[in-house]
Amino acid sequence: MLNIEGLQVSADGKTILTGIDLKVNAGEVHAIMGPNGSGKSTLAHILAGRDGYTVDAGSVRFEGQDLLTLPAEERARRGLFLAMQYPVELPGVNSMVFLKAALNAVRSARGEAVLDAVHFMQLVRNKLELVQMDAEFLKRNVNEGFSGGEKKRNEILQMALLEPKLAILDETDSGLDIDALRVVADGVNALRSPERAMLVVTHYQRLLDYIRPDHVHVLAGGRIVRSGDRTLALELEEKGYGWLEQEVAA
Amino acid sequence: MNTASAESLQRYQDSLARLRPQLTGTEQPWLMNQRRGAVESLARLGVPQRRQESWRYTSLERLLGQGFVPAAGTIAPQDSDLESLLLPKLDTWRLVFVNGRFAPNHSDLDGLPPGVMATSLLQSIGSNPIVASRWLGRAAGAPEHAFSALNTAAIQDGLLIHLPRGLQLERPIEVLYLTSAPGCATVVHPRALVLLEAGARATLIERFAGHDHSLYFNNALTEIFLEDGAELEHQQLQQESPAAFHLHSLFVNQNGRSRYQNTGFILGGTWSRNEIRVDFLGTEARADLQGLYVTGEQQLSDVHLDIRHTHPGCTSRADYRGLLHGKGRAVFDGRIIVNPDAHKSDAHLHNANLLLSRNAEVDTKPQLEIYADDVKCSHGASVGQLDPAQLYYLRSRGIDAAQARHMLCLGFAGEILERCRIEPLRETVRTAVAARLAQPMETAGRVQS
Repeated sequence: MLNIEGLQVSADGKTILTGIDLKVNAGEVHAIMGPNGSGKSTLAHILAGRDGYTVDAGSVRFEGQDLLTLPAEERARRGLFLAMQYPVELPGVNSMVFLKAALNAVRSARGEAVLDAVHFMQLVRNKLELVQMDAEFLKRNVNEGFSGGEKKRNEILQMALLEPKLAILDETDSGLDIDALRVVADGVNALRSPERAMLVVTHYQRLLDYIRPDHVHVLAGGRIVRSGDRTLALELEEKGYGWLEQEVAA
Repeated sequence: MNTASAESLQRYQDSLARLRPQLTGTEQPWLMNQRRGAVESLARLGVPQRRQESWRYTSLERLLGQGFVPAAGTIAPQDSDLESLLLPKLDTWRLVFVNGRFAPNHSDLDGLPPGVMATSLLQSIGSNPIVASRWLGRAAGAPEHAFSALNTAAIQDGLLIHLPRGLQLERPIEVLYLTSAPGCATVVHPRALVLLEAGARATLIERFAGHDHSLYFNNALTEIFLEDGAELEHQQLQQESPAAFHLHSLFVNQNGRSRYQNTGFILGGTWSRNEIRVDFLGTEARADLQGLYVTGEQQLSDVHLDIRHTHPGCTSRADYRGLLHGKGRAVFDGRIIVNPDAHKSDAHLHNANLLLSRNAEVDTKPQLEIYADDVKCSHGASVGQLDPAQLYYLRSRGIDAAQARHMLCLGFAGEILERCRIEPLRETVRTAVAARLAQPMETAGRVQS
């Protein structure tokens, strides 16, 4: 589904990713771990299509298509979704209007019928339950005045609505207490399916107790320095990132 | 005075001379005195100059270059023209003015409670001039510029609302000023007087509109008097013809514990100036002024707020937002003065602008002059562009760039819109703002991508 080869990325003349190779198949959950500044978030945003990065080398293919030449909205329409670490507030933009616009943009691209208000409400109510959010939230402006937990749940709600083929979760656990983490993780797990792949970006092992990955990769200095199964995450939890960085440097 | 200014003044004086034979009420000395005084003021003031502070950022060339003639007679609009300019799904008492003249056929004042006057100023001057003679000109005072003087010199018809003590109107009063000058460029000087006696309460919706694309100058002046504890919610929608010039000078006098809420939506015209002056004449009064202007190619919106805290314990809030696209121009000049005696004043003034193109331009000047201790005051202004992080967020959800920009602009406007409590009006304005933004958004998309 996703095939990254030799990806090198810089921003403002500074190299961030020094050569990433990663292959993700449908149905798989991959965790990307690494210390701060290792390039995890950059990888997430370069996949989602944020401006401001320069691709110096390499390629990213999503279902066989060159992903990097597509604008962000086109990637979303083709089934890529990024749950952001810091979802921005959109003052004056009503949540329901926003969700409906996003869903209908993606549905149109998939050749599905645009939903009217009634059918949209039916669908969104189901999805709200999944992340334990009250329908009152739809009346609020997008992320405006939301607590950290509400913002993260809102991200998962959008993911549930848009039903992406590839979901990227960027530090979804940051700033969450244990109860909120469980709600978010349950929401994510409910969306696991043989057709869907997930890329879980996280600094801590904690999230991976709830969302169990099939593969774990460690990113350091802008490249993947080690890959393994879930036991790698546990090893990191025990030893920290220091030993890996030293090993790589040696 | 330079030659161009002198010529321009002469044109306005000529225009006034042509209007004079049409003016009625000549048997009323108080009215003739006001008109005469205004003619003298006009000669003394001359036309505004850019070197005057309150006109410094306002381009006057196009306005002063025009030769406007007084609107001759009334034109009869079609009902179909009016339908789209009245609020749907809202039960109101309605007054329609066409080229400054009251149009009773299009108005609906059935069932107004006894003692309430909502009528034509011209009719009231003819039949029962007590309110008009006592109150006209009191809030406006001596004219500060030629256009106020012109309006007073030409006082003829307009709106008169009078609510007796304690009366609360359960329906809004909706006023439509329709101007049309299909033949030649005309000038109209509608005058409005609103008096709410102690404890009275009302909602007033005023819409200024041109249904064709004609060129005219709407030079309106409104005076509002709120006696002790009176409350007025005042909504104004400026949707003049794209070629029109619009100037509205609004003077509000507020007695103790009165409440005045004004929301202005400034969308139309090629040149638009809105002046609001609020004087607190008693303690613990409150004024809330908010507005939204949208300007594009060949458009100027010029807003001047002047709020005078002269008594203790009054509260004022001013919050104006602007969306500028194309070569849109805007001026925001807001001033709050807190006099030495006006302790416990609470005043906040803010202006925010979104520039949607490289060629848009705004001059913003919020000012606070505080001469009292123990006050809570703040002011601020911002000029910015759409936030790339917000655009990215929307686009990452499949929403294309043009629609994302559109949603964020409407969101920015929504902060003002949401405070309008009259739903049909809010939806009308939202639709109008969306329509105004639709075209330039596409252009902006092409430029940036």
